[in-house]
Amino acid sequence: MEKLSAIGKDLPGADELTIVDATGKWITPGIIDIHSHMGVYPAPSVKTSSDGNEATSPVTAEVWAEHSIWTQDPQFALALKGGVTTFHVLPGSANLIGGRGVTAKNLQRNTINSMKFPDAPHSLKMACGENPKRVYGNRGQTPSTRMGNIAGYRKSWIKAEGYLSKLDEYEAKSDEAKELSYKPTRDLELETLAGVLRGDILVHNHCYRADEMAMMIDVAKEFDYKITAFHHAVEAYKIADLLAENNICAALWADWWGFKHEAYDMVQANVAIVDQARNGTGCAIVHSDDEIGIQHLNVEASKALSAGLKAGYSISKARAMKWITSNPAKAAGIYDQTGSLKVGKNADVVMWSRNPFSVYALVEKVYIDGALAYDKSSGFEPTSDFDIGIINPKKRRIEE
Amino acid sequence: MIRNKTLIVFSFIFFTSTILEGSTIVIKNATIFDGIEDSSYLGHILIDDGFIKKVSKSSMVQGDRVIDVKGKIVTPGFIAPDTEIGIVEIGALSVTRDDESNIYDIGFSIHSAFNPNSTLIPWNRSNGITSAITLPRNTSSPIGGLGSFFLLDSKMNINSNADMVLIGRLGASGSSSRAENLSLMEDILSFGLSLNKKDIASDITIDEIIENSSIASYLDLKARDVKVLYRLFDEDLPLIIKSHRASDILNLISLKKKYDLNLVIMGAQEASLVIDDIAKNDVPLIINPINNIPNSFDELASNINLAQRLEKAGIAMMFNVSRDHNYHLIRQGAGVAVANGLSYGSAIKALTSNVAKVFNIENRGSIKVGNYADIVVWEDDPLEPSSIPERVFINGIETDLTTRSTRLRDRYTKDLNKPNTYRN
Repeated sequence: MEKLSAIGKDLPGADELTIVDATGKWITPGIIDIHSHMGVYPAPSVKTSSDGNEATSPVTAEVWAEHSIWTQDPQFALALKGGVTTFHVLPGSANLIGGRGVTAKNLQRNTINSMKFPDAPHSLKMACGENPKRVYGNRGQTPSTRMGNIAGYRKSWIKAEGYLSKLDEYEAKSDEAKELSYKPTRDLELETLAGVLRGDILVHNHCYRADEMAMMIDVAKEFDYKITAFHHAVEAYKIADLLAENNICAALWADWWGFKHEAYDMVQANVAIVDQARNGTGCAIVHSDDEIGIQHLNVEASKALSAGLKAGYSISKARAMKWITSNPAKAAGIYDQTGSLKVGKNADVVMWSRNPFSVYALVEKVYIDGALAYDKSSGFEPTSDFDIGIINPKKRRIEE
Repeated sequence: MIRNKTLIVFSFIFFTSTILEGSTIVIKNATIFDGIEDSSYLGHILIDDGFIKKVSKSSMVQGDRVIDVKGKIVTPGFIAPDTEIGIVEIGALSVTRDDESNIYDIGFSIHSAFNPNSTLIPWNRSNGITSAITLPRNTSSPIGGLGSFFLLDSKMNINSNADMVLIGRLGASGSSSRAENLSLMEDILSFGLSLNKKDIASDITIDEIIENSSIASYLDLKARDVKVLYRLFDEDLPLIIKSHRASDILNLISLKKKYDLNLVIMGAQEASLVIDDIAKNDVPLIINPINNIPNSFDELASNINLAQRLEKAGIAMMFNVSRDHNYHLIRQGAGVAVANGLSYGSAIKALTSNVAKVFNIENRGSIKVGNYADIVVWEDDPLEPSSIPERVFINGIETDLTTRSTRLRDRYTKDLNKPNTYRN
């Protein structure tokens, strides 16, 4: 794995280096999408590989998104051409607690283990609001209301606390005492939840409405865990200060709205308002949750930036670039390794044809861990097995 | 004191807007993409009584109100050809949806359901869409449902062109073969073609016709349905068929030829595989230029360069989006198409005059003398989704660009010392 070894004008050992002329080009860190369903909702969108929601019980903390990922999803390569070098795949939002997410490098391989981001912490997907209450309410099960949702989380955390205290009790014993007692039986569901309570697993919480996010913060305080990020958070701007005070990121769209009642109060400056909260200490992320959006996160950030400027904020392009690089890296727990161009970090680098805050900007080169992963000019790009010979046996899917 | 101030401001706004409506307006020093020419020119537009009275390259144009736009880009108002504007407020909330019928099929009209107070109207207008075609959801039969054209001027006195397009679909259904779908479509067309004026003279004659037609009885058609089928041929009504797969597109072209249809294909993700047939048979397409996902086995050839290839083949194109509400993002799709090889002039036409031409929307879609003054002054490049209109004129009247979204933004960024419910 190659690291960034120097950044500056006169680089040491320049004679022995491969020189890539970036005159007139823009360079950014690799783009990171904190909310993707690539692999778990692959293309084609067909029932047989739609594996993102284990919607059979409102709490399925035992499932892991990585076990659903179809590594031949043709969407990975498309996202790469949008500059995405790292993505975080979550289970869907049918459940109150949907299962573990996984952070992967956008280096498509035959096994998910060879794509997983080294040392990235696991995450847990939780979901507020309409989706869980609709899915289970329609079946006459709990939760069918928002109060049912909250009761569901609290009941789970109470179980998790009990499990964790048993584990702690056992682990605190001397080796001799351990031999005289039984190790608590593993419980996959509670293992995940206990991982959150121990601070090892990061909570990513799908939540649209401001009042519900505030309540989720209360639940987190009750059980002493941390929410890393609220996702979608269409109403984050209403409680931007509260999010900043609690050190919670908001992963947002630039402009999606209206598809659900809880997504009705869209404000395009949402990202900027979150970013600027409490003297600029807010953590705003532009996410996709979408196979097309992930290819254009730079344009989504551009829309959010422009809306922020129109709302009267003074935000630089460099600051807005954090919304799709360093902030999602922080929320994925990998900022020590990637998310910014800094000596010692992974060489995840994108070269753009022009200012990336433009719809006309195209990705020209993508490097992941210092290796060229995509090169527009030479046509060097990955092709999934799905794409091979599927329309014309002699060609790749979209080869002309 | 504060109360008085507010009153003064309000009466001033009222006063000026009253003046504007009755007088002539000149938009001066505009970089005009008129929706006709491929490139722009610097010019001045005279608006009189709702219409474009003059488009001049010399600055001698006089008017009651002169707006110097200082070289900014001016375009015709964009026309979105595939929307649910006015009939769906919140997607997942069925009580706000008026896009479906359980009784009517081919003749299902959504026109009377249009809500001119929908929040989608100011939202899309403030982003440069001045008019739109609203389509119902597909009905159970392969042809069914009428779309209408609406001006997005938020007037209770709705300005529209009712039931001006029929829709249908062909492709994978998941339950029955597309061959069945196609046969049924052809049976319906054949029945429609057999109708003549005296058949549809009264509901009694229509009932007889239905009784005597196996396909009409099978589909349980109503008088409204039959009348629309007659219109399809009598008026050469545009027929939008949603379809993607290359082989389906060829089958639709065969139907077009056989029944002399005014066919428009929507979706068409595999158009590139049969591009010569589409071009030879003059089939306009509504595509989503940003969609390069092989989202089904009907869309395997999805490619980001489709728009550019259609342009090269001389095929008339229009744009739609894959998600609801933000129909103005056809601008972003157009921008992505330009980034991938489409010419800028063709992109503007796809957003304006192509829609007007294909759907017979008279006197709109371009900046030329005699047209209604549906005009947008852009703060910057209209194909950059980060840039928005500065001014939007519909029928020559400057419209308000406030939206519920900007109201909420202002509520949460201004006057923060008050509780939110006591802010504006």
